[in-house]
Amino acid sequence: MTAIAADLLVGASTDFLRNFSPFNRMEADALAFLAERAVLAFHPRGTDILTPAMGVPRRFHIIQRGKVQARQAGPAAVTEYASLPLGPGECFPIGAISARRPSTNAYVALEDSFCFQIGAEEFLQLMQMSPVFHLFCTQYIASLLSQSRQQLQTTFSQRAAEQQTMTTVLGQLIKHEPVCATAATPTRAVLEQMNAQHIGCVVVVDDERHPVGILTQSDLLPRVILAAFDLERPVSELMTANPHQLAATASAYDAALAMATHGVRHLLVVDAEGRLKGVVSERDLFSLQRIGLRQIRASIENAADVSALQRASKDIRQLALNLIAQGIGAEQLTQFISTLNDALTRRIIQLALETHDLLGVDFGWMAFGSEGRHEQTLSTDQDNGIIWQCAEWENPVSIRNRLISFAREVNASLAACGFPLCKGNIMASNPDLCLTLDEWKSRFGAWIREPDPEALLNASIFFDFRVLYGNERLGDQLRSWLNKVVRGNSAFLRMMAGNALSVAPPLGRLRDFVVEDNGSIDLKKSGARLFVDVARILALRTGVDSSSTAQRLRQASGKMGVSADEVSAIIDGFHFVQLLRLRSQHLETEHDAPGDNHVNPDTLNELDRRILKEAFRQARKLQIRIKLDYQL
Amino acid sequence: MSKWLSRFLSSPTNDAPLPDQAATALRRWAEQAPADTGRAHFETRYVVVNTEATGLDLEKDRLLAVAALAVDGGLLAPHDSYYGTLASHPASTLAELLGVAGKAPLIVFNAAFNRTLLEHAFDEHLGIESETLWIDLYFLLPALFPERNERPARLATWMERFGIETFQRHHALGDAWAIAQLFLAAQARASEQGAHTPRALADIERTHRQYRSRL
Repeated sequence: MTAIAADLLVGASTDFLRNFSPFNRMEADALAFLAERAVLAFHPRGTDILTPAMGVPRRFHIIQRGKVQARQAGPAAVTEYASLPLGPGECFPIGAISARRPSTNAYVALEDSFCFQIGAEEFLQLMQMSPVFHLFCTQYIASLLSQSRQQLQTTFSQRAAEQQTMTTVLGQLIKHEPVCATAATPTRAVLEQMNAQHIGCVVVVDDERHPVGILTQSDLLPRVILAAFDLERPVSELMTANPHQLAATASAYDAALAMATHGVRHLLVVDAEGRLKGVVSERDLFSLQRIGLRQIRASIENAADVSALQRASKDIRQLALNLIAQGIGAEQLTQFISTLNDALTRRIIQLALETHDLLGVDFGWMAFGSEGRHEQTLSTDQDNGIIWQCAEWENPVSIRNRLISFAREVNASLAACGFPLCKGNIMASNPDLCLTLDEWKSRFGAWIREPDPEALLNASIFFDFRVLYGNERLGDQLRSWLNKVVRGNSAFLRMMAGNALSVAPPLGRLRDFVVEDNGSIDLKKSGARLFVDVARILALRTGVDSSSTAQRLRQASGKMGVSADEVSAIIDGFHFVQLLRLRSQHLETEHDAPGDNHVNPDTLNELDRRILKEAFRQARKLQIRIKLDYQL
Repeated sequence: MSKWLSRFLSSPTNDAPLPDQAATALRRWAEQAPADTGRAHFETRYVVVNTEATGLDLEKDRLLAVAALAVDGGLLAPHDSYYGTLASHPASTLAELLGVAGKAPLIVFNAAFNRTLLEHAFDEHLGIESETLWIDLYFLLPALFPERNERPARLATWMERFGIETFQRHHALGDAWAIAQLFLAAQARASEQGAHTPRALADIERTHRQYRSRL
């Protein structure tokens, strides 16, 4: 008859749980499992139910009556969310118990409270048997992602002198009505107006207020004074035509990137109809920032020698620090670094060209690997090559030799600027990597026809190429040829897929993470690479031209009919791994140690650990997808 | 083997012979050593016992059903419980109740009624006298929670003061569930006051009972 009593009590617990989500949606057998194992405990007002100091939580609590306050403990006290008291039907801890880590929150009974509890093992069993409960817990953990970003910002803002959000919409940055002139206005009238109003630039617009040109103060010396320009002539003859424009909805980040890319100090902000709304200057964006983007860019462009570029390269790192402090996401940050590194590399090439006569040689400087993908972190060694072609009557041997000796100098200068020489000799000075378009085609073609392990490894580096300097059309031709050839060769893609699956996400069955002997995880090899490899395959399969991982995933999944939510979850995962890489490199550079890609999960805070785990789960999801597609 | 047990097992009383299961439960109960009443709450298994009767008159009313619910180490677990009616085979039901209760300190609400009724039944149907420690929440609660209620009160009053509910009122197990929750709160409060053991609880309860009887 003990069974009767137990049935009555379990039934009562079941009825209670049914009043609350997610238990009301839970599968009958899972709910029964929970109700049978739930025991009731009492926590008088003011007592600690669970604290970080208690270590890995052994119990999962569901409040039956009363109120429990969750307080973030320790240095990470940033989230508003954590201060909400929990009431009947709510449960805790979810993240800590799933990850088997000490809780970041302290849970204190605000009132006399009764809580049902089950053991940690039972909690995990319940997650396994109940898809509803599993989803509930996963969604909860996913919501921690944004918290982590906030936390990251807080950490860095303490170090950065000032904070300015780079996500501000340009429309909000415009402080003054722009000063305009028509194309026919005499130059003198325009200059008088600039002088009277103390302004740095005038926008030339047409009748419908569409910008047609811009005149800035810095144009005056070369174009007016030195050129002895006749001030009675219309301003249209003096202005810079087709000025750079951005929509009012674009962010400060977009503007900064455009300024860095085009090397300008002013950008015009236009509305949806293309009509002028205002002008954003570099000063508006970076008045508070110690190192301006354009400043770095200008110092790169005006650098007379490699030692000047070395200073610029240090500034790029400093800027990256400031940007992390401003909470810029990994995708944007790596793009920034990539843009500036591109500028640096271009300047190095230009300097080398001054001493190497390559006039009339049709070539392009190629970037491979992470540089090719626009995913450079702060410590990336060189991966580059040259693509060229020559007319039949020219002597290819002499051209190749000239290109190689030029490349040798560029490689050395890059090394001097903080891009270490490639250990695997993937550098343009290597004669094997200074090839004509046809040679590249036959090289790539051989790998595709005979995909042995080395060929696959090469494909994973070289297929992420882009032309960084010189004739970009050579790169485009190679890309479209490659996409066409690979699409017709599913056997090769299948081998690539097999190769991509050779490294599994470092998720443990018993422990959270599978770590290397020194207790760390290689975020490059067993982190970012998982995403990058699959993205490459999807891009090749669907003929996506982009070489960036996020772009590849977005565009390819569009073609493959994967939902946008699913893709952004995967991309978020990738970016989180990248962010951790940047951060660890970054923190290490501060101590003057060479950056590497290793992170010891024990040194991460609880939140980051959970999210890293979730990121790896996304990688696994991606891998499972191609596993199914290629039946591996 | 004690006298009463041999008497009971060899020559039946008015009751029909015990089924094997009940006999085993009873034998096991008899062989148990009494619980150590000097151990801390978190190491102690208390058992809440409760009854259902035809009315509240000890002279006339009959016991209908009994329930037991363990509070083990401060936790209330649904599987460590018992409920049975006395209609068909009272001796068997009572033996099973004792099987679950063991010699744990017994928690009861209103001992004057429930304890008396149960002890009569044990004597009548099983011919035994229980020597376990009884603790009556009727006196313990006002002693521990004077700010909620200074004087002994009905179960319904205490449930209301604590916001405690149960799945079925006036049912032996339903009320035991509420009593057990009150006892969880009482344990916590007693610990705050330095009363960490069953014996200490019994002392508080007795002192309050005597204080009440002198008023």
